[in-house]
Amino acid sequence: MKSLSHYLRIWLASAKYSLVRATMFRGDLFIWATVELFWISVNVIMVLVIYSHTQTVAGWSKYEMLLLVGTSMLIQRFLMGFFWSGIFEMGRNVRSGLFDFVLAQPGDPLFMASTRKLELDGLLNSVVAAGLVVYSAVKLGVHPGIAGVALYACMIACGVVIHYSALVMAMSLAFWITSSQGVEGSYFTLMEFSRLPREAFKGVASIIFVWVLPVVVVSNGPARELLHGFQPSWALGLCAATAAWFALSVTVFRSGLKRYTSASS
Amino acid sequence: MRKYAQSFVVGLQSNLVYRWNFAVRSVFWFFHLVVVFILWGAAFAGKDSIGGYSFKQTLTYFVVIFVMQFFVGAFNEDYQISEDIRNGLINQFLLKPINYFSYRLSVFAAARVVSGAFGILALLIALPFFRDKLDLPHEGWRIALGIPALALTAIIQFSIAYCFGLLAFWFLEIQGFVILSMAIETLLGGQIVPLDLLPPAVFNAIRYLPFFYQAYFPGAILTGRQGYDFAVQGLAIQAIWAFILVCLAEAVWLRGLRHHTAAGG
Repeated sequence: MKSLSHYLRIWLASAKYSLVRATMFRGDLFIWATVELFWISVNVIMVLVIYSHTQTVAGWSKYEMLLLVGTSMLIQRFLMGFFWSGIFEMGRNVRSGLFDFVLAQPGDPLFMASTRKLELDGLLNSVVAAGLVVYSAVKLGVHPGIAGVALYACMIACGVVIHYSALVMAMSLAFWITSSQGVEGSYFTLMEFSRLPREAFKGVASIIFVWVLPVVVVSNGPARELLHGFQPSWALGLCAATAAWFALSVTVFRSGLKRYTSASS
Repeated sequence: MRKYAQSFVVGLQSNLVYRWNFAVRSVFWFFHLVVVFILWGAAFAGKDSIGGYSFKQTLTYFVVIFVMQFFVGAFNEDYQISEDIRNGLINQFLLKPINYFSYRLSVFAAARVVSGAFGILALLIALPFFRDKLDLPHEGWRIALGIPALALTAIIQFSIAYCFGLLAFWFLEIQGFVILSMAIETLLGGQIVPLDLLPPAVFNAIRYLPFFYQAYFPGAILTGRQGYDFAVQGLAIQAIWAFILVCLAEAVWLRGLRHHTAAGG
């Protein structure tokens, strides 16, 4: 078992490399930052159009909904910034055999595969998403204390881990199917649920998307914490879901890894 | 013509290799439909109509758009074309009596036949859950105008993807451009919200952009959101855009070839 400091050193080296690379390809950074900004805008416009025809959706006002969307986007931007590139490339590398390169590195394959690259554009846009949360909170007259903000941040971190786990599981399909090309889209589809209020889910949808899959809890937990203060059931539910999903993703990844036959002869 | 028929057959075979990818994508697109159902179901709660349309009409619009994309959507063509250029595979087309646009169009058609089959399959599975929530108009002219509109939509989608793929002649990495364009197309194409819910001035401006004809226009004809006169006028504008984009694709191709260097023996 490698020590935590060993992994921290590897991560810092990868982060440094990623930052140098980002500053070398400034045009690329600009394009991707614009892409992320556009997707945030698309979601905001969707909310604005719907609320131009109605006052509430599942009991949530326009700014409450924007706060929820901002929270969801914040989690997703952190995922994009810290893990997306590595996990996305994992699917292609498994197919091409380039995954050998990851296996030859001095650390856990999942860690090495998923933390290789830091994407500055995702991290830059997390500021935009955070801005949307702050703007909505101000419009709603919500003023959380330091403890409230800290708890919100912890819940966001839990959300990032759950998103990470879901993405790892989706991309691990590459070990079983010919190509994982397009499978990453499945992650984005599933995460669309995280932009919906809990109250909108009824019947079977509630069981699947609130209780079985953690996609709703991920964003609704932190958003509710900001709107209504500390709610133990949401906080504990989110922690339990985080632990369970991370364990499941590691298990799926390791099962897939056993099937990996490499590209070499 | 025979060589393109052969490309179509080869395209069918190679796309069938990726049948599991299409199957997974179909399942997750079904989830996308569930998101639409939950979100708009909550927005319609206690309301008979939004923007003059009932919940059934709105859901029908999204279902039609969803199925339509399997038949006419250019999901991956830009990436494939850029890979051809980057890997030098494009060189073989320069030495043979084959038109690259027509070759790619025949492969695109084959891919859409395969993905269309999966789209229909997904629809048949989903239909028992949605059947009583759908409200399709029965006027014959909608089918008569909807089919050519769909064909033109396919040409527009393919031509845009083709142009973006050809950007690989100038740029090493084009995915940023592709996803940026996807964000714009998704919003202005009416895949996020029906475009007729936008303010009239915005709607009238978007009408003259090609994105309008990528999804919303055929969807609006088939689902009764627009009348006969609008459909006929729109079809003319759509045909003009299809012509412009095919010409643009040829121009970009010729321009790109000037930049291209075919290396190797």
